[in-house]
Amino acid sequence: MRSTPVIAVETLSVSYRQGSGFLRVVEDVSFSVSPGEVFGLVGESGCGKSTIALQLLGYRAPAMRTDGGEIRFEGRDLLALDRPELDRIRGARIAFVPQNPTTALNPGIRIGAQIDEILRAHSSGDSRQRDKRTLELFGLVGLPAHSEFSRRFPHQLSGGQQQRVCIAMALACEPAFVVLDEPTTGLDVTTQEQIVALLVDLRARLGMSMLYVTHDLGLLSQIADRVGVMYAGRMVEIAPTANLFTDPKHPYTRGLIGSIPRIEDRSGLPARPLRGLLQRHELPAGCPFAPRCDWATAQCFEEEQKLQAAGVNREVACWRWPEIEVPADARAVVAAEEVDHVDPLLVIDNVSVVYGAGRNAFRALRDISLDVGERETVALVGESGSGKSSLARAVAGLIAPAEGSIRLGGKQLQGHVGDRTPEQRRLIQFVFQNPDASLNPRARIAKALSRPLEFFFGRASTDAITAALSDVRLDGKYAARFPDELSGGERQRVAIARGLIAEPTLLLCDEILSALDVSVQASILALLQRLKSERGIAMLFISHDLAVVRMLADRVCVLFGGDIMEIGRRDQIFSAPFHPYTHSLLEAVPTPLKPSPHRGPARDAIATPPVSGCAYAGRCAWQIGDVCERERPPWRETEQGLRIRCHHSLEELARRATWPDAAKTEDRRSIP
Amino acid sequence: MSGETLSAPPGKWTGLLPLWRQTPLSFRIGLIVLLIHVAVAVTGPFWVPYGFSQMGTGRPLSGMSWAHPFGVDQLGRDIFSRVVYGGHLVILLSISGTLLGLVVGAVLGLLSGYVGGWFDEILQRVLEALISIPFLVLALLAIAAAGPELSGNPVLIVLVVALVYAPRIARMARSVAVEIATRDHVTVARLRGESAWSVMRRELLPNSTSVLLVEFALRAGYAPVLIGSLGFLGFGLRPPTPEWGLMISENRALIIITPITVLGPGLALASLVVGLNLFTEGLARILGRTVKLGVQ
Repeated sequence: MRSTPVIAVETLSVSYRQGSGFLRVVEDVSFSVSPGEVFGLVGESGCGKSTIALQLLGYRAPAMRTDGGEIRFEGRDLLALDRPELDRIRGARIAFVPQNPTTALNPGIRIGAQIDEILRAHSSGDSRQRDKRTLELFGLVGLPAHSEFSRRFPHQLSGGQQQRVCIAMALACEPAFVVLDEPTTGLDVTTQEQIVALLVDLRARLGMSMLYVTHDLGLLSQIADRVGVMYAGRMVEIAPTANLFTDPKHPYTRGLIGSIPRIEDRSGLPARPLRGLLQRHELPAGCPFAPRCDWATAQCFEEEQKLQAAGVNREVACWRWPEIEVPADARAVVAAEEVDHVDPLLVIDNVSVVYGAGRNAFRALRDISLDVGERETVALVGESGSGKSSLARAVAGLIAPAEGSIRLGGKQLQGHVGDRTPEQRRLIQFVFQNPDASLNPRARIAKALSRPLEFFFGRASTDAITAALSDVRLDGKYAARFPDELSGGERQRVAIARGLIAEPTLLLCDEILSALDVSVQASILALLQRLKSERGIAMLFISHDLAVVRMLADRVCVLFGGDIMEIGRRDQIFSAPFHPYTHSLLEAVPTPLKPSPHRGPARDAIATPPVSGCAYAGRCAWQIGDVCERERPPWRETEQGLRIRCHHSLEELARRATWPDAAKTEDRRSIP
Repeated sequence: MSGETLSAPPGKWTGLLPLWRQTPLSFRIGLIVLLIHVAVAVTGPFWVPYGFSQMGTGRPLSGMSWAHPFGVDQLGRDIFSRVVYGGHLVILLSISGTLLGLVVGAVLGLLSGYVGGWFDEILQRVLEALISIPFLVLALLAIAAAGPELSGNPVLIVLVVALVYAPRIARMARSVAVEIATRDHVTVARLRGESAWSVMRRELLPNSTSVLLVEFALRAGYAPVLIGSLGFLGFGLRPPTPEWGLMISENRALIIITPITVLGPGLALASLVVGLNLFTEGLARILGRTVKLGVQ
């Protein structure tokens, strides 16, 4: 790998103007990218990775100052070039793919003309040659290569197609090096997968070098050859991708990898989360990661270790890496206790929810029966539109069920929250997906927490608020802050604290992790596990993330198109027999270092679900025939109590199951 | 109405100078004009040469002079002194009328947007009916309906200004409330069982302050014109009150002989309105920069 590098960054330091001074955002970073290599740059938001990406194009924002170092590209220092020279290199020799294609493309110019612009600026050639090249590029990135398509405007393209156009623009002049800044972050999961596949393919065909900047470590495992991990503006570890995942050396990398929830993990143990958050103004003189590091010594706080060689092709900036023996994924956190037999707390009986009326009525839930026991966590799983949020809203009293009844602790609940008793309202608390919206931006944290106390118990004290904050592992001083002074994870903790302070017996959690970074997710997950075992609160936990569900839930209920497809204890859900839909969900879960399975063309989300038949009929890969669309499938129950709604027999479902080594997951607890 | 406290974080007076430099130019000019107006209105009565109804201060209709910058009217009253005396009246009536309209309009609008249903429907139709009447006509109707005993009473003027503004402010507040009411923190309050009033006070009002402030400032900027128009038409305050619109009306016959007697009060009114509007526009920009404005 150590041939002459395409681009070499040497001791680069960059600052941003902040107020009257300068804030160092990149500190002494060195790395190089070999010809044909994909180098991944990963780190939490604010670690300086995008700043480096811009520097590689010689781009300096007005408030940015380069303090030192050089970037060597084709024998020249990019930082020393003047503007006309840079203009000749940018786009032609080094190209850029931005994060958000919607804003990167000019909405008023046809896409063909936008690509033509680059060709005109850099290469001669008459208009016919350029047109030919444009169509060639479209073909290269998997877009229709005919001139009708090139006459479209950006808004006539989907997000994925727009990103393909941006990639085509970057490739227009056959650059030696392409910088990609979070190119798939704004796209949904399936499109993201396609773009990554395209990049892998392009790289194999064109042999170009890339710098891939992202916060998603799992993604890099599928595309990068080497990965550089950044923390607080420093490069803390550089390693070939495979080695990084199997044998991370820096404690921060270990934390990042340990934070990724894994679907094969059937132990029900939470990942090992990173402690705390990057706080730039509180960095010690030594290693910036020392305050969050489990292995930090006094030396770490005072002296900084530079990046040093640590084996073949590997570099680490840590004093203690040779001594750290523990595997990164030692998931040594208390196991969730198994709840065996419980009295039902919440009983949902034949509930249907209908939106709208008359001709436009939409049936979001049909005939759902489900119960949640005391101290039990039941997960609702399904894609958007499956009705899982509608169920939570019906339980909370935001929508009245059209049919059926909901009972809490044996007592019937009124459909609308306003008609319920204050006691009933207190016993059910709701935590929302997006902590930005669920906290009043104009109220201090103390006020957000004291209001439920005043309302339900008639009194609020500072002690109670401090106690509630410490319950969710937040310091008492947070009480005086406003929500915008908190990070996303901290806000979600406050939202959970607000739910808990009312002393509920049932907590409804609606996708509460999906708006958070992966390392923050892991720590909230650990918090929920602890609350579950300490306070014995029952939870209805809504999520689309099966790996998270596997760690937290006692029972899992899989929903599709408003109907329950499969319901059972956690371990049974994650082992054969599977419902066809559960099986497809499990297959779709991306896992680090596991090449994503090749699937047929993704079928579109629900057409109109059949009225009488199985809700999943239109999309089912194992569909029997007309019977699925005609008749509602029967419940089939295993001896262990797993219930599946399908026309196939249990034996047939078990035989068809191919989800990775359903039987062998026992051995996959730790990463290979 | 001091602009500095609005843009500064609470309790921090130290960083005011850099803050002042960041404000838009229109805001600064407007604020200075307003401060001069307020200073004159507050201190004026102590230093003006003549009383507001004092007659025989000079030769009637003698025009502009050093002793009488705005001239002398038919009754020998010094116009400059009258304009200075009138300042606090106009400012006080404008502000209190707009404030009353803001309180009524905001409460009605926010509740209507949050509660919805038939309450919202009926209220909106009533408000639309009120808005559809040109506001000067509406004001005259209200004064006529109040009867002769009340006419000329400053309280009536305040109520009329409030009546004209409240429906317009309520519409704005409603649109903001509709947007905020869909946020999760409002849902949390509703799940807790909070009353509509409590939700309005705790969740909606704090989050609509920026929009309401801009709305207040915009309306206040036009209130002196409304009060002046009423005075000019003879439905405002009674003579000899030195209200600017009334003075313009009284002296309009003299516009050929001594134009300054009309221009003086006119200038005062114009500068107040321009000052208020510049200030308002700047304020809207400052608030718009830091807080997301509702649908305008």
